[in-house]
Amino acid sequence: MSDAAPVAILGEQTVVSEPPAPSISGPWVAESPSPSPETRELHGTDTPASAVAPMRVVGQPVAHHDFIEKVKGSILYAADWKLPGMLHGRVVRATVSSARIVSINTEKARALRGVAAVLTSEDVPSNQLIEQSAGGLSELLVAMPILACDRVRFAGEPVALVAAETQQIADDAAELVQVEYEELPGVFDPEAALLPGAALVHDDGNVLTTWHIQRGDVQAAMAAADVVIEGEYRTQHAEHASLETESGVGWIENDVVTLRVSTQIIEHATVIAEILKLPVNKVRLIAAYMGGSFGSKEGMTVEPYLALLVWKTRRPVRMIWSRQESILASTKGHPFIMRYRTGATNDGRIVAQDIDIIGDAGAYPYKSARVLFYGAALSCGPYFTPNVSVRSRAVFTNNVPTSAFRGFGSRQVTLGYESQMDRIAEALAMDKADVRRRNFLHKGDVIPTGETLETAVAVGETLERALARLGEPSAPSGPSKRVGRGFACNMHPYGRTVWFKDSSSAWLSIQADGTLLIRAGVTDVGGGQAASLCQIASEILGVSFERISVYIGDTALTPPAGGTFATRQLYMSGNAVMQAALKLRELVAPVAAEALGCPVAGVVFEDGRVKAAGKSASEGAPEEGISLSELVRLCEARAVDTTTLYVFRPDADRRELNTEPGQLVSFPDYTYGTHAAEVEVDLETGEVVVLKYASSHDVGRAINPLRVEGQMQGGVMQGLGYALMEEIILDEGKIASSLLANYLVPTSDDMPDVMVDIVESGEGKGPLNARGMGEAVIGPVAPTIASAVADAIGFRPTQLPITPERVLALFDTADGTSASGSVSPVPAASRQ
Amino acid sequence: MRRGEGVGRMSLQQVTLQVNGVAHEISVAPDALLLDVLHDQLGFGDVRYGCGEGVCGTCTVLLDGEAVSSCLVYAVQVEFREITTLAGLLGEDESLHPLQETFLRLGGTQCGFCTPGVILTAYSLGQRMPRPTREEIRHELGGSICRCTGYTKIIEAIESYLDDRAFASEETRS
Amino acid sequence: MMARFESAVDKAMPMSSAPGAFEDAHVRVVLDDWERRWYGAPRFTYEFVRSYEEAVCALREHGEGAKALAGGQSLVPLMNLRVLRPSALIDLNGIAAAAPRVEGGRLSLSAMTRYSQVLLSELARCQTPLLTTAIPYVGNVRVRNRGTLGGALAHGQATSELAAVALALGGKILACGPAGVRVIDAEKFFVGHLRTALRPEEVVTGLRLDVAQPCQGWSFKELARRSGAEAVVGVAASVTLSSRRDAIGGIRLGLIGVDDRPVAGNRTVLSSLLGRIPTPAEIDEVAADVSAQTAPASDWQATASYRRRLVRVLVRRALTEALQCAEARASAE
Repeated sequence: MSDAAPVAILGEQTVVSEPPAPSISGPWVAESPSPSPETRELHGTDTPASAVAPMRVVGQPVAHHDFIEKVKGSILYAADWKLPGMLHGRVVRATVSSARIVSINTEKARALRGVAAVLTSEDVPSNQLIEQSAGGLSELLVAMPILACDRVRFAGEPVALVAAETQQIADDAAELVQVEYEELPGVFDPEAALLPGAALVHDDGNVLTTWHIQRGDVQAAMAAADVVIEGEYRTQHAEHASLETESGVGWIENDVVTLRVSTQIIEHATVIAEILKLPVNKVRLIAAYMGGSFGSKEGMTVEPYLALLVWKTRRPVRMIWSRQESILASTKGHPFIMRYRTGATNDGRIVAQDIDIIGDAGAYPYKSARVLFYGAALSCGPYFTPNVSVRSRAVFTNNVPTSAFRGFGSRQVTLGYESQMDRIAEALAMDKADVRRRNFLHKGDVIPTGETLETAVAVGETLERALARLGEPSAPSGPSKRVGRGFACNMHPYGRTVWFKDSSSAWLSIQADGTLLIRAGVTDVGGGQAASLCQIASEILGVSFERISVYIGDTALTPPAGGTFATRQLYMSGNAVMQAALKLRELVAPVAAEALGCPVAGVVFEDGRVKAAGKSASEGAPEEGISLSELVRLCEARAVDTTTLYVFRPDADRRELNTEPGQLVSFPDYTYGTHAAEVEVDLETGEVVVLKYASSHDVGRAINPLRVEGQMQGGVMQGLGYALMEEIILDEGKIASSLLANYLVPTSDDMPDVMVDIVESGEGKGPLNARGMGEAVIGPVAPTIASAVADAIGFRPTQLPITPERVLALFDTADGTSASGSVSPVPAASRQ
Repeated sequence: MRRGEGVGRMSLQQVTLQVNGVAHEISVAPDALLLDVLHDQLGFGDVRYGCGEGVCGTCTVLLDGEAVSSCLVYAVQVEFREITTLAGLLGEDESLHPLQETFLRLGGTQCGFCTPGVILTAYSLGQRMPRPTREEIRHELGGSICRCTGYTKIIEAIESYLDDRAFASEETRS
Repeated sequence: MMARFESAVDKAMPMSSAPGAFEDAHVRVVLDDWERRWYGAPRFTYEFVRSYEEAVCALREHGEGAKALAGGQSLVPLMNLRVLRPSALIDLNGIAAAAPRVEGGRLSLSAMTRYSQVLLSELARCQTPLLTTAIPYVGNVRVRNRGTLGGALAHGQATSELAAVALALGGKILACGPAGVRVIDAEKFFVGHLRTALRPEEVVTGLRLDVAQPCQGWSFKELARRSGAEAVVGVAASVTLSSRRDAIGGIRLGLIGVDDRPVAGNRTVLSSLLGRIPTPAEIDEVAADVSAQTAPASDWQATASYRRRLVRVLVRRALTEALQCAEARASAE
């Protein structure tokens, strides 16, 4: 049943370094036996413990570190960097979607005064990048060139590079590069790409990878089900539209190619080295604080081009992608086609899910294999599903490549499983929330990928909170308006798939004057990744924020922490810093205990001092205990280290990936949540106005509630754009518009305040029982809106974005006539 | 360039730009955008490129107190006009303006890239109207795109600042 | 507001398919120039003028490649994208805009008046409330701070809210050129896709709008996919009651997003509402007829058929509201 072509090895390749996965043949299949309903144990109550013990700074809505620089405007992003003799770079991009390159003529470009270099594929020492993003599991090995050599596969693909004295000259020169194309047939729809005889994007076939998940006996279960609901759902290409476009500056320092860029992953340094055929010690990658990313800067963006231009010209080079270039050619969020068949009993219990997912991978792999894995693994949602069959395929087309986008496959499937849940409720005339409650997972349940849930599943609590927030229903504002309410639940993993044996390290030092230095390889996308580390260290070592500095993201200077993606940073680096801080405390506490004349267990770190617990009352002495600087001096005298490096490796004991039924563990843990919304639909224009919106997630423990709320509100806004207005429209691989004016992201004038409810179950695998939530928060939005619109008008949107025109089209399809603009009655059954 | 003075296509022009109360005499090409002159030439890192279309608000500066897109203005056009960047709101000793302080405290900034434009726009609104309504604030901020916060905390911060300011001025009056 | 950049390219390069070929939401992109869109700003000669006469001289001198620069909110993005490459820019921002004033039953506005200045003008609010109602739909606050009335008119965007208002309020556009000054009716001003009746060396110097009568009502309705985004369809309506207040005496519509240029609602169709206070059904019928007269295109935002549906709905709503407004004002007299 393998759809994947045999693995091909290409010469002269660069393999993105990943820990080697065990070799496996054929498509990966996770099989687990279907547990009978009786044997499913409910492990205690999943209602969250309300007692997360209050702490000094953890749990406080503090604002510190980089946020101070941001309100001042003084923070230095990647493009806020200037070096003497700095050149300006520009990527020259293909204007056709599928073609053979007949010739590239750079003569005129080179001749332009002020041009320092014009590079093509010949100038790239190693021009092939192979992404093994799923760990080499029966996926095609497809090489992506840094600069297109003989073939172009998507409109916007880089074909040449220019560096010049000014940006103007670089752009003039870019226009003078003459490329002759011979257009080839292309394929622009993944379903078309699956047909026999379809144009091939890559020689070995159009299917990058196929994932299967099997559990129990779906056929039998469906046949025995009381009701079977079928649905098809479609999502669109989404653009991250971070305010900061892809940018950076590169230079050579001490013979090292140094790049300071907006990037989520500094580990790309090894790939840069391979491209330049340099040893890795000759490349340094520094991550500046990012002006947003959302996955767009997870793969390399400007890095290889900067590296090449710097290396060739031996001069500093700055590159800032224009907004239009970024919209045109940066990787996008995957459009999914999802087909669901869901079987349930008459009392609303899910007995089977049969799911088929197709994702448009675009022209090159990037992270598509993994995104479709996430889609498969999360496709049943937070519900107990005894019989499951999922097929999930990443399919090449000659469209712009797709890759990581907040939610990473799990975002798309929420529309599938939540729409199905609503429709089951409708079919059975049951309350939609009751159907959810009847099926929610519990701690200890085994999910379709075969693993057991190890932490509390507080999704029920989030459901109650979100629904409660909507309050009294609003009345429609006019005769042609209808108000509707909807909600949706989701689960989303945090932490990388465990078979990658993820790790993160952090280095901590108490300096001579008692200030704290943290070095961690994390990158900061704007969500407080760096600040959170300070907050944790401050809590454990009792040092105030102004006396802690954190240095992040520098392959030369920071211990590796892995990239910022997969909602892993709080879990991994938060734990690394926490453990490092605890270890440091352990190292120095005996010295403190001796100085204070108390047992080691009685040493307390607070206010920049160490004190003996219980002796807090002042007895004539103005201060208690000794200062940290005094402690450092004492440690020095006793040759006790006041620095420590900690490597956090949670999955070292985890089983390797294998196909033994029920043996797989896919993700370390999950975050659960529910959103609810009230909308008003204009029946004559199709406009949808969001009147109220509530979001609730169980975050285990909120390290910083201010930031947690901010993530929730921001994720909702991005989700609302995705649900209602954002769409990259492609025609034969060409984008309809690359203007930001035409990529409609919500403004402050479009959407209501987002009400948030943080649930703290007290269970989570992050530091202090926190859970990562940066991506979980976008998942429920689209199905929440679809559900609310369906409630308002009686017809269910199944395609995103839910534009006014599509809403009207729902009426047209339903009654088969072209609506004349008259008001259509709302079927009684759908009004709950 | 004044009419009748004869200008060549490539020649640079001497202009004086007043930025945050300080006069800067520089040579610029007529086709140099105010954005690029401020960021690259004069080193005002808080004025940054976002889209070049005037849509996102990242490059916002105040021109005589009014919010404008610096990517849509040529430097030669604004000689002797008062230009304010976010840094211009700081106090003498680099202390935060109350609006900045409120943004910090209430979580109105995450990645920070939209922040200069947002705060300047809010500041300009506050100078024009003593207490705009929440809807008026939302409408005025509608041209400042934020991809991170979802706007709720931005609006809350602006309202909090305006309320504090109204309270403070009441106190000084009484 | 912004799809006009695509349109500017379309203007230079003819569309490669027959009209009427787009009934779905996808659009065939003009390919010849689009690859240049993301590059930086081009070069030009810069001239600063202090009067419209100086501007005309400068435009004359620099010939075909010269463009007048007013607010820059439409022009400079096109230049940043390298879609437009004027060889000379004539900066009009040294021309002082006279304050709005009323003369001869009309509100006179200088071309260099910024949108934001109109909003701050008490006179404009009283005399042309339709204008001040429509302006908040224009772009964003920065566009309104810099954008000028003259610049918007000269650009001739098919979705210009100002154009819709000018059409609904009997607008007269004043232009100054080598041959002198002339007055152009708004209904004759917008002649094609980003094309106006302005001759190459002419500049807009002013706009005159009919002031609101005591028995006159107005309404502005626009559907945009997002705040500040370009209108999908927009309607500016002005309804005047007869002297006895028991019938509609005058009715005008300005429509945007319905064609390649702003258009006036068809007079003949609208005239069927004169002479009485029409019923809602009659208004709807006329709205349907107005819609049938329009020729919207399909683009990335919306299909032609959806736009036509919108025209009917928005015209009906605008006429209804304008009529109610007129009746309320008449009875308040």
